[in-house]
Amino acid sequence: MKRLFLTMAALAASVLLFAQQYSGGVKGTVVDRNGRQAVENARLTLLQGASEIATAVSAEDGTFLIENLADGMYTLVINAPEYLETQVQVTVNDGYVKNMFNLSLTGVQRVTELDEDSFAAFDLEDSGYNDNPTILFGSNDVFNNIAGYNFSAVRFRARGYSSESQDVYLAGVKMNDAITGYSPFSLWSGLNEAMRSKETVNGAEMSDFGFGGYNGLTNIFGNASNVRKGLRGSVLTNSSLYRLRVMGSYATGLMDNGWAFAANVSARLGGNDWIDGVYYRSFAYYLAADKVFNDANKLSLVFFATPGQRGAQNASTQEVYDLMRDNMYNSNWGYQNGRVRNTRVRKTNEPIAILKYDFTPSDKFEGSATVLYRFGKNGYTALDWYDAQDPRPDYYRNLPSYFFDANSDMNRNNMLKYAWANEVWTHASDFPELTHVNWDRLYQVNAIQEGGRSKYVQEERHVDQRDLNLAATFKWRAAENLVLNGGLNARINRTEYYKIVADLLGGGHFVNIDNFAERDFAAQPYKLQNDLNYYMKHGAAQQVGVGDKYGYDYYAQVRNFGGWLTGKLTFGNFSAHLGGQLGYESFWRDGLMRKGLFPGLDANGNKLVVDGVAIDPTYEPDGTVTTSLGKSKVSKFLTYAGKLGLNYVIGGSMRVYANVGYFNEAPKFNQVFLSPRTRNSIVSDLKPIKTFSTDLNWQYSGNGINVRATAYYTTIGDQSKVMSAYDDLQNAFSNFAISGIDQRNMGVELGFKVPTYLVENLSLQGVLALGRYEYTSTPRMTQTVDNSAETVMDNVLVPYWKNTVLSDGTKYQHYVPSTPQTAASLGLSYNHNYWFIDADVEYFGDSYLDMNPLYRTDYAVAGLDNNITDEEVFYMTSQEKFDPAWLVNVSIGKSWYIQRKYQLGFSLNAKNLLNNRSVKTGGYEQTRLVDNTVSKERFYRFDPKYFYMAGTNYMLNIYFRF
Amino acid sequence: MFAATVALASCQSLKEEWDPVLTFGEIEPAPLTLYTESTLPGFSGHFTTIKQLKSKYKGGGVEVSGNTWIKGQVTSDDRSGNLYRELYIQDETGGIDVKIGKSSLYSDYKLGQWIYVYCDGLTLGAYNGMPQLGLEADNTSTNEYETSYIDLQAIIDQHIFRGAYGTPLTPAVVGEAEIKAALSAGYTGELWGKLVTVKGLKYGDEIFALLYPNSNLAHKSGNPENRVFLSTPQNERDRIPGFDYTWGIDTWAMSKALYIDYIRSGNWDTAEVGSGSTRYGPITGRPKDYLPPGITLQSFGTDADLTYKEIMVKYATANYVSHYFTLGGTSIQVRTSGYAKFSDEKLDARILDGSATVDITGILSIYSGAAQFTLVDEPSVSVQVN
Repeated sequence: MKRLFLTMAALAASVLLFAQQYSGGVKGTVVDRNGRQAVENARLTLLQGASEIATAVSAEDGTFLIENLADGMYTLVINAPEYLETQVQVTVNDGYVKNMFNLSLTGVQRVTELDEDSFAAFDLEDSGYNDNPTILFGSNDVFNNIAGYNFSAVRFRARGYSSESQDVYLAGVKMNDAITGYSPFSLWSGLNEAMRSKETVNGAEMSDFGFGGYNGLTNIFGNASNVRKGLRGSVLTNSSLYRLRVMGSYATGLMDNGWAFAANVSARLGGNDWIDGVYYRSFAYYLAADKVFNDANKLSLVFFATPGQRGAQNASTQEVYDLMRDNMYNSNWGYQNGRVRNTRVRKTNEPIAILKYDFTPSDKFEGSATVLYRFGKNGYTALDWYDAQDPRPDYYRNLPSYFFDANSDMNRNNMLKYAWANEVWTHASDFPELTHVNWDRLYQVNAIQEGGRSKYVQEERHVDQRDLNLAATFKWRAAENLVLNGGLNARINRTEYYKIVADLLGGGHFVNIDNFAERDFAAQPYKLQNDLNYYMKHGAAQQVGVGDKYGYDYYAQVRNFGGWLTGKLTFGNFSAHLGGQLGYESFWRDGLMRKGLFPGLDANGNKLVVDGVAIDPTYEPDGTVTTSLGKSKVSKFLTYAGKLGLNYVIGGSMRVYANVGYFNEAPKFNQVFLSPRTRNSIVSDLKPIKTFSTDLNWQYSGNGINVRATAYYTTIGDQSKVMSAYDDLQNAFSNFAISGIDQRNMGVELGFKVPTYLVENLSLQGVLALGRYEYTSTPRMTQTVDNSAETVMDNVLVPYWKNTVLSDGTKYQHYVPSTPQTAASLGLSYNHNYWFIDADVEYFGDSYLDMNPLYRTDYAVAGLDNNITDEEVFYMTSQEKFDPAWLVNVSIGKSWYIQRKYQLGFSLNAKNLLNNRSVKTGGYEQTRLVDNTVSKERFYRFDPKYFYMAGTNYMLNIYFRF
Repeated sequence: MFAATVALASCQSLKEEWDPVLTFGEIEPAPLTLYTESTLPGFSGHFTTIKQLKSKYKGGGVEVSGNTWIKGQVTSDDRSGNLYRELYIQDETGGIDVKIGKSSLYSDYKLGQWIYVYCDGLTLGAYNGMPQLGLEADNTSTNEYETSYIDLQAIIDQHIFRGAYGTPLTPAVVGEAEIKAALSAGYTGELWGKLVTVKGLKYGDEIFALLYPNSNLAHKSGNPENRVFLSTPQNERDRIPGFDYTWGIDTWAMSKALYIDYIRSGNWDTAEVGSGSTRYGPITGRPKDYLPPGITLQSFGTDADLTYKEIMVKYATANYVSHYFTLGGTSIQVRTSGYAKFSDEKLDARILDGSATVDITGILSIYSGAAQFTLVDEPSVSVQVN
């Protein structure tokens, strides 16, 4: 009680004027029944008979105080998001403040099993696109609580922001990937119990744990004493993910001797009802200990990892889905002697070790320092082949559309072949070897090659991180109305990108040469070498076996450090937050293999002499030598950001607050290097990303009503990205570096939960997200190919990126893709006697397909005749809008207490009850053009590829606690 | 409840699906089964010879019927890249080009391997007089072939059956008389499509190559503004005395890089843009200088300001070359693809200067009434010093 800090709400409640003043009251602490952790923002309503006497909101540490009560009998009703409503009787005697001590709430267990597992793992690696999920945590925000759970199936992104902008912290350390910036949920998926305890702020709000950006900040505590006490277990099946998840956890809570221990283990196994070839064989373990030395010092040690593998899902064209009559067709797998095998398997084992020190010398000061180290391996398999036919079943030359097109300009008209291709794909079960990967053939081919040289292998692309992080934060209550928050952080990241031979598929070896270079440079064998140094030493290309590195090998090196400081000033019902951040970021590439096409110079700066010939290097636009081996130029950025937040509490139930922020951030490593697999070349015009963001919010919380309404406006300028797509026409990776992408995201959010008043314990809940996320600039693009020093297109404008403009001035705006810009949910929620039943109807609209920059260039629009017509502009540059979708979801759950000691419960979530199987959740345009037309006047697009949402599916979770 | 979940999870556990989850070992792949005459599906029991098959040809191409099967041994190998999307098989009566439209056929079809072809439903056609077995021709306006590629695996699987691995065939040595006989027989000449060795070929000091300055634009004969011929003028009067009609090309063909080197060498500067009777002028000029405003000039876009030479460098691709040789009084072209791995290999200097003759092994074909050689691989050329 010493550290009792009243929230402004409680303050407000306590200053309500009454005609008569009493000395009596009631106080206590609201805690979670299971973990005994404080429950913040619980709403306490004091009733006398049917009339409401007073309300209060619990403070950060769960405490509350209701004063000015006359003696008498009261009913105290406690409501908190994600907890069951609880009532207790209170008697106030003799004018004393009655101390209720701990009032425990039982969690609703509305299966907040949201982690990366909730999102299908899309195989996008060879497409040049990415689609990393963002996860909205329920926490205690009414909008996030509903949207986070209901909208995950359509890959809803709050306010249209990308995954990179969502700051995810673990034990005070920012965990967003150093190379890509993506939020890193996969690192702990399967450890739901250990990572359950977290704190989230939205938008540009300021957090105690870090400065944050404009898309919220979530800090996961992750230490032993934050894991719910006791022995717990759960068994879960999810018909759209995996057959079985078993999970167990044990935590001691903080014991009298100052120690706390916690462990969490799980296994996720099996396939699902919807996507063949996708499976899990993933395990997870977590061990943690806390030791409190005295009131002021605490050490936490955490170690966890989620070793395992999972099969990935690939996108196909609508033609394939229609022929198969199945939008969930997955081209990644095939039969090997009658058994299913996936070509694309993600194999990860990335342990994380954390040492954290918390220092709380007084009520006024708390500080912490964390060291976090991430290491291990992250591999992703794929087929690779040398001078052999493309083994992918849905390769465009295997499809009916390759043999007939009603447009005669496409030059495709062979009805015999068309009919046969159609026969194959419409009778897929009769042609499993043609409609899925034919593993047996790959082995059969390898078995008859001279010298045991495999033509097909399974490669494993590695992205292995060595990530060392240091973070220190403090919070100092400098004065009654001033809180200062700040921190320092540093990161050293060395990520090795390479690939190994994972499976020779029956052959004896694979040869470490560049297949595509061989086509152009067969007469110069040195140019074919992926490892020229090996060739120079041994006089022949390297033969590689299982586990050997080949193809490419380089380090991405990232360093950053920075500091931040925020201050919160409170004047009565008004408070203001002001903060700033300053940082330094640098990164470079360090090549570990000398590639024949980009040999550079030798160690002394002289031309390399190979096979008796001195090799002329190629040069970068800035005149430096293009090189594959060694350290690249170091890109350095000074980053800074500032934020202001204003907050006004009205009458204890209502809050109006606003935030504004400006961010100057460094681009990411993967947005900068043109072709990191082969050389040090970087985007010529590197600029920091500049973001301005502001939001205005209104929140009401009282009488069982929870509402939040927000309006936001954000501009993000000078974004760049490099899309690296496998082009099977060139048999090489083609790289598109785009810079100068500006976007504007604006919209409104509404979330509410209100009692129906008609039926007790029945609430009406809903969310509405109306956004407009659009591109506002004309970026530039440079196209290169991995296997050539030439620049295919050099810094050309992409004039149709932000819109399609016809000659009469008609414009069609282009939008930020891969999330619905309109999303709504309306439903009923019933909570009583440890039962909960939720039923929701959802609508999603205004979702757009990701665009490729090539189709928005003058080159693509003009076609071969160099003549731009409106028809070509409209055809080539338009952006596809997905059909809107309606979904119905129902959840039901119940828990029982047995002998007041054990708890058993279940929850069943049935999703997409309308069995809507035509909801596109993402996809991409292929980055290439059809040019072999009759007229030689124009280009055509290749069909885009899509991912679809599963039909009706369910998740059943049974949990128990001892 | 726990049991129910486990039951629910396991009752759906299709055996196939649990395999990758619970099986940590390797799955033994199904072995390749090679066909024998007794296992061929629907085999009539009778093979037609390749010679008999060719005799069924009718102008414009003919769909084969009558339960026709042929068999032969593989004589071609596309490893070097000089052959592309075609497989040659031969029996004792002759050889034929089976247009299996896949790349890297040598992965699946080995030299000397027995191949059985169920011909019904395939189309026997001719390409400039050369027999080919493919599928019905594409019904497109640009189509200039009597057959199309057998490129859909489902169709290949119904017509092409792989048999036992035999020993690679020894090429027959043929002389001028046999070649002349085959040329006069035309389409049914026994040599076409066969792997043969011709000895004592003498270099003819001329080459033929057709170049497309902008390789992305139309290649048709109706687009002379995008054609450059490297050849010896048909008309004696047009020949420049003393001019080197090899155009300085001393390699079998030219990769993209070498093509650029050749363009820049200046040896081609007198080559004219144009085709047939439409001649614009040498490649040192610009489209803008040669072409009237309109579609054809416009199609060059801003490139119209560049010289043709510059355009050729900008849109360079690998290119084939035909070298002329003579055997007595018979001319034989050796045509090599720019994508062949040996494309940039130089012809032996003794061949070029005429001090040596050469023995060539390859697939012999007929092209517009003339004999043409396709090298399967470079080593099949052996130089005989006179």
